[in-house]
Amino acid sequence: MDFSRLELTADQQQFASEVRAFLDALVTEDVHEEERRTGSGFNEHVHLALGERGWIMPTWPVEDGGAGLDPVRKRILDIELSRSRVPHITAGTTGLVWTAIERYADPGLLEDLRRKVASGHVRFCLGYSEPDGGSDVAAAKVRAVRDGDEWVLNGSKIFTTSAQNSQYTFLITRTDPDLPKHKGLTMFLVPLSAPGVEIQPIRTYGGERTNVVYYGDARIADLYRVGAMNDGWSVLHGPLDAEHSLGGESTGLDDLSIGRNFLRPLERALDAAAGWAGSARRADGSVVADDATVRLRLGKIAMDLEVGISTPGPMGRVAGSEALVRGGADLIDMVGPAALLSHDAEGTVAGGTIDYAHRFAQGTTTYGGTVEVFRNMIAQHVLGLPQMNLPGRRVFLVPRRAEQTAGARV
Amino acid sequence: MDRFELRLQDYSLSEDQESVRDAFSQFFAKECPSTVVRAAEPLGYDKQLWHRLVDMGVTSMSLPAALGGDEATLVDLTLIAEELGRTVAPVPFISHVVATRLLAAAGTDAELIQAAVAGDRPFAVALQPLRPGEAQLVPDAAVAGDVIALEADALVLTSADKASPHLLNQGSTPLGWWQPPAGAGRIVLAEGTTALALHARAVREWKLLTAAALIGMTEAALALAVEFAKTRETMGVPIGSLQGVAFPLADVAIGVSGGRNVIWRAAWMAENEPGVRPELVPIAYANATRVATHGTTTSAHMQGGLGFTIEADASLYFLRAKGWSVLGGDPNLDLITVGDAVLASAAR
Repeated sequence: MDFSRLELTADQQQFASEVRAFLDALVTEDVHEEERRTGSGFNEHVHLALGERGWIMPTWPVEDGGAGLDPVRKRILDIELSRSRVPHITAGTTGLVWTAIERYADPGLLEDLRRKVASGHVRFCLGYSEPDGGSDVAAAKVRAVRDGDEWVLNGSKIFTTSAQNSQYTFLITRTDPDLPKHKGLTMFLVPLSAPGVEIQPIRTYGGERTNVVYYGDARIADLYRVGAMNDGWSVLHGPLDAEHSLGGESTGLDDLSIGRNFLRPLERALDAAAGWAGSARRADGSVVADDATVRLRLGKIAMDLEVGISTPGPMGRVAGSEALVRGGADLIDMVGPAALLSHDAEGTVAGGTIDYAHRFAQGTTTYGGTVEVFRNMIAQHVLGLPQMNLPGRRVFLVPRRAEQTAGARV
Repeated sequence: MDRFELRLQDYSLSEDQESVRDAFSQFFAKECPSTVVRAAEPLGYDKQLWHRLVDMGVTSMSLPAALGGDEATLVDLTLIAEELGRTVAPVPFISHVVATRLLAAAGTDAELIQAAVAGDRPFAVALQPLRPGEAQLVPDAAVAGDVIALEADALVLTSADKASPHLLNQGSTPLGWWQPPAGAGRIVLAEGTTALALHARAVREWKLLTAAALIGMTEAALALAVEFAKTRETMGVPIGSLQGVAFPLADVAIGVSGGRNVIWRAAWMAENEPGVRPELVPIAYANATRVATHGTTTSAHMQGGLGFTIEADASLYFLRAKGWSVLGGDPNLDLITVGDAVLASAAR
């Protein structure tokens, strides 16, 4: 057990200063402004600049386009990226996809992509969810049918966040509807420039842009198949587990769970509310911070934060997300209508930090696997409770609503 | 506070710590089945069990080597407290160890410390400052004639021949009204700011160890509920396969895992960098009281009417969740001090 400050060598210290100065200059107020406006989770100039330093895939060897960072430097970079609030969604999905394709994709394709991914010129997104079904990824219906050396794709995916920033999507498809649910799936790395692929934006009230991606007779070469036909579920598991922060041993350097990311906006909102309470006055002239109900609620949120930081793996994902949901809502109540003002509005509290936290919080309970999916995992894998025997657990079932409308769409 | 400070996040136990945890896990599992807990009710003190625990070295292990101790850390003590909580063992471990450490920190003479180490007479600590002429409810006062209390700005050990009369209470703990009895021996351990600081430290340690015991208690209650949910059936399926049962139990598991880790982080900081992030102790304590209340309530409820009976071991945990935790006072007051730390940090 060790929670001490990292003792940095002179070189590491130098690296930390260098990273911070670099990011200060790169991630400007204009970048933040653009992100607030577009919710894109990506800025090409920033992404390419990071790629130039090898910081997209920072632990890769320099000859592959990485920066060859050791675990300490990697941690320094991660924490400085987080501090800088760099739009990072596309970089995140790109990393998740690479984990899977590295093992299963065509070696020639990988060689072609490796340096382009590291330089930032090639980005990936996740093509998992479908309009007819969200959390049950293995129920995918998008069809892939082989035609000679090509595959023909039909159907649609939803919540393909970063599609507009990416060159490829990591697509889960149904290649054999007659096989058991998990056996009839195949993964592809689909070039988004392929004819028949159409990206339509969706906006969330968390400020993010995500997408629906339609596949209408889109044809791609067999080269883009990742792993064997009908073996898609094993191929998918790597990045899915990584996204669920399962598996890996703690290094003692990194955060305990992905829930940590959800706590960052809560930290900013809490600090903003505390700063406000220290100077704002009630109608009777008293300072808000002297109010015991305010002190108690700030303390409760700080407790949720610290507990969230210390909650591991899938448990931490739920704890982090729900702490943000609870805390954001209560901070709005505490600060009152001024907490709702947008970033640029007159009299806004800390640039709309609390407003943002409350809106952003709502997506975190859903994307990357809902908190219910995680509670199921905890119930079954941590507590060893029995799994419910649901009709579609092992059998591929087309949702009833989809069956009725399938004719109309196709 | 720099929320981006580069600190290690290593929650792993050393081999020594794992052995400590395993040894006490086995000790309590073997020596303290629920029959022992029930037999010790309503007082909540099993003298034989206490002596066997003292024989394991718990009273001296965290003392400095110069006093015959093994310099075990606060983290090590939380491991023992968690195992004790798992069986809700009726022994005054937390009060006594905190009192003994307080005697050592105050530089009390070695003879007195050795008497505490021997464990023949349990020691207790009055957690609230004493108000003249007013008694307070002191944990373990019904078994401890030796009580350390803060009287104005003096830290005083009062030694009486007899402990306070026991009071029947929800948690079946040796709770008693206590004020310095007339004619009892008095030793001033410290005065002025030193006395205040020593007492505050003792209260923090009491809260940390109690928090750990509450987490152990909650995890044990959860295990009972999980076992029940695996075997009990409704409409042809085990109730644990239903999300209305599984999800609340998953929430208890979430609370336990984070609760334990935040205690470890608070204990590690208190041990290694006292004064840095002091709000972690009230956070760990207030959170553990919340986790224990929620976890033992949920675990009892998932066993339906059976979980509401005294016969069910779930009752032992439910009754002690408040019975042990509230002795430290309203956890919301702890959270107000945490809020003050947030405000102070924002003002800097």
